[in-house]
Amino acid sequence: MEAALSTEQHGHAGSHGHSESFLRHYIFSTDHKMIAKQFMVTAIIFLFIGGAFALFIRWQLAYPGEPIPLIGKLLPSTWVNEAGAVTAEWYTQLLTMHGSIMIFAVIIPLLVGTFGNFAIPLMIGADDMAFPFLNMVSFWLFPVAGVLMMGGFFMEGGMAAAGWTAYPPLSAIASYGQTLWIVALFLIGFSSILGAVNYITTVLNMRAPGMKMFDLPMTVWAVFITAIIITIGTPVLASALAMLFMDNFLHTSFFQPENLIVPTRDMSRTAGGGQPLLWQHLFWFYSHPAVYIMILPGMGVVSDVLSTFSRKPLYGYKAMVFAIIAIAFLGIIVWGHHMFQSGMNPLLGTTFMVSTMVIAVPSAIKTFNWLGTMWRGKMEFTTPMLNAVAFVSMFVIGGLSGIFMASTPVDVFIHDTYFIVGHIHYVLFGGSLFAVFAGLFYWFPKMTGRMYDERLGKWHFWITFITFNGTFFPMHILGVGGMMRRIFDPTVYDFLKPFQPMNEFITINAMILGFAQFLLVYNLGYSWFRGRKAKRNPWRANTLEWQAPSPPPHGNFDRPLHVYHGPYEYSSPLTVQDYLPQTTSPEEIEEQRRHHETRLKQKNEATAHQE
Amino acid sequence: MLDWLPENVSVFGEGVDHLFSLIYYISIAIFVIVNAIYIAFIIRYRRKRKGEKAYHYHGNNLLEFSWTALPFALFLFLAFYSDGIWEDIKYADKTPNPDLVVEVMGQTYLWHFRYPGSDGIFGRRDIKFISTTNPFGVDPEDPNGKDDLTTINSMTIPVNKTVLVRLSSMDVIHSFFLPNMRVKQDAVPGQWVDVWFNSTKTGEYEIACAELCGSGHYLMRAVLDVQAQKDFDTWVDEQYSNVLASLAAAPAQTNE
Repeated sequence: MEAALSTEQHGHAGSHGHSESFLRHYIFSTDHKMIAKQFMVTAIIFLFIGGAFALFIRWQLAYPGEPIPLIGKLLPSTWVNEAGAVTAEWYTQLLTMHGSIMIFAVIIPLLVGTFGNFAIPLMIGADDMAFPFLNMVSFWLFPVAGVLMMGGFFMEGGMAAAGWTAYPPLSAIASYGQTLWIVALFLIGFSSILGAVNYITTVLNMRAPGMKMFDLPMTVWAVFITAIIITIGTPVLASALAMLFMDNFLHTSFFQPENLIVPTRDMSRTAGGGQPLLWQHLFWFYSHPAVYIMILPGMGVVSDVLSTFSRKPLYGYKAMVFAIIAIAFLGIIVWGHHMFQSGMNPLLGTTFMVSTMVIAVPSAIKTFNWLGTMWRGKMEFTTPMLNAVAFVSMFVIGGLSGIFMASTPVDVFIHDTYFIVGHIHYVLFGGSLFAVFAGLFYWFPKMTGRMYDERLGKWHFWITFITFNGTFFPMHILGVGGMMRRIFDPTVYDFLKPFQPMNEFITINAMILGFAQFLLVYNLGYSWFRGRKAKRNPWRANTLEWQAPSPPPHGNFDRPLHVYHGPYEYSSPLTVQDYLPQTTSPEEIEEQRRHHETRLKQKNEATAHQE
Repeated sequence: MLDWLPENVSVFGEGVDHLFSLIYYISIAIFVIVNAIYIAFIIRYRRKRKGEKAYHYHGNNLLEFSWTALPFALFLFLAFYSDGIWEDIKYADKTPNPDLVVEVMGQTYLWHFRYPGSDGIFGRRDIKFISTTNPFGVDPEDPNGKDDLTTINSMTIPVNKTVLVRLSSMDVIHSFFLPNMRVKQDAVPGQWVDVWFNSTKTGEYEIACAELCGSGHYLMRAVLDVQAQKDFDTWVDEQYSNVLASLAAAPAQTNE
């Protein structure tokens, strides 16, 4: 707590002659801004691991059985055969770890961990989180869990290989890698809950004087609602994981029916009598809301970025807030749409279809309000704005492809095909990850005190945007053709053979997409140390974080704050400039206007005098 | 894009494909309209001069209401329209009377098929009896089970007949996927699920597993052979005589 109260200037560019030890400052820090940076750096490392796994998957699908170029022979013998080609065993591990890492160690830590931590205290005018120590624990559980998740690499049987959904009995009769995966996810769940409790408390109790709930920027609203979903859903996942762990390790039978025929495992101690579908209900009760955990903060960030760079108030602010609340509520009652073909009573399919169709409504409301925000704006296409604009368009595609799956009869065909893979990547990459890019560039000046390279940022955006579509759009067509998810070699099936050129096209795009992310890392990494110094408010934005120095010191703000306005008063006729910081008092506005008028008058007189 | 769909040869597949194309065209329409507006805004409302102000406007409740109500009506319509077809495909009380019942058992990584034999009655089964040599768990005491036909990775059915598949698994979850029949149903160990279809065209079609079931998941392929009724009858007779031959040899085995 003393650390949080210290007003010492810190940051890489600042003087290092302060009383905090290196360990306390950079490693076991309780400062929300340092924790946000820790989340960011760790998650970007995992982004590259998960991305590399995806490229191995793509290589195998485009060129089944062919050796991986350049590095194939260098990979361990448990992964590749003598020729250096991916083995079927490693392939199932790859697809499992790609999904698990990207969801639990990349998207959630970036959106919730990084932006939640960085933005909440700064945007509500607080000096830190409500529970800084809890915050530190929340971070440190995450890299430990991430490494543990992949720990199966060192064990017999390799990493977890039952898919990120880990359906038992497959996951209940699996290797030690699966057990490690369960433990890792359990820890990540704890990390999420600790973070969420912190966010809720902070938003409710630590807002600056004068700041009402409806003065909160959308990013804070979104993370706040997300935190509520996390506290509702994650304990259910934890209970399911505990049961799966016991099935795996202690031979209980929560998810295993009687007399399973498993030659590779001693089943004599497993009594049976369990129900495999129970896992799916419990898992999706968390994991469907988790999809909203991964998109709502992105929607918040994008709303802020769109409004700032359109120089216009966010269209329908309250409707946007209520839409987020509606999505969060409906998101809890749609989990069964993952189970239409699971053997669940088809009557439930009907009810879950109706709730799923209804959840498209608040998503539509958000899209229309984003369009409304841009209408008659004065848009500036900076890198964060480009990424935010792409988010909206990609989210529309992801939303529309969702209707196909929501319709139960169509889902009969496209369930567990590449249509689903295409859909989820439009939502989680086209949606969440573009929002992450938007947010990273938007807050980079505040986070580091330096500007990123605009030209590199735009290059990164355009390459990513084009190859992203080249990678994931054709997957919808593969799905229409019936190509199943998670198959090692599509050429086994005659009806999939015509799709091989399309698989190659996807893989080429995916390679470029993957390597283009080095541009992002180079841009952020180089600019962090060598970039141009950033001003306090480089985007001329209204929200409170831009009133703090760049980068903000411990305790964040160098003067007391009072909030007078909502977060989106851009281009107000009352003000001289095209923005109105939330802290500007009515007297200050009046004074600025008087000052401006006097100057205008003087200028007019001067010109009249000259004539 | 819908040209990529595998050929449909199923009675209810037409309804599925029709719904598919309906949603497809609605989506395309929404996508084109939204993105046309979007791109028009991007071109029209760029900032051209420094310091110029945008339109200060917070929103319009009538618009908010209409773009809530319209999608709501559209999505509810889609839900109820879809539900009619869904009920026909999956609801037990709407399943037509089957002409043939086939039991299907998934095992990593192959499919077992079982026909009731000449007496038309399946032998009694119990989960206790399931083993690698008795994948369906047929009670060895039950005489009705003696003449049951079983095949591996090959399913033969008559054309234009309602076939009821009774589906389960003996180890992990599999998914019984017939692309040309628009059929997909998970096979869950410990429970039997019914799924029906009616093929309108003879020929060989592929059966795939659509649920990750291990590293050999991709190899779990079977063939569906749809035959004319008389060819099917010949096939059954052939298979049945094989069973009789093995039954004749059976007493010797039990004595051992």
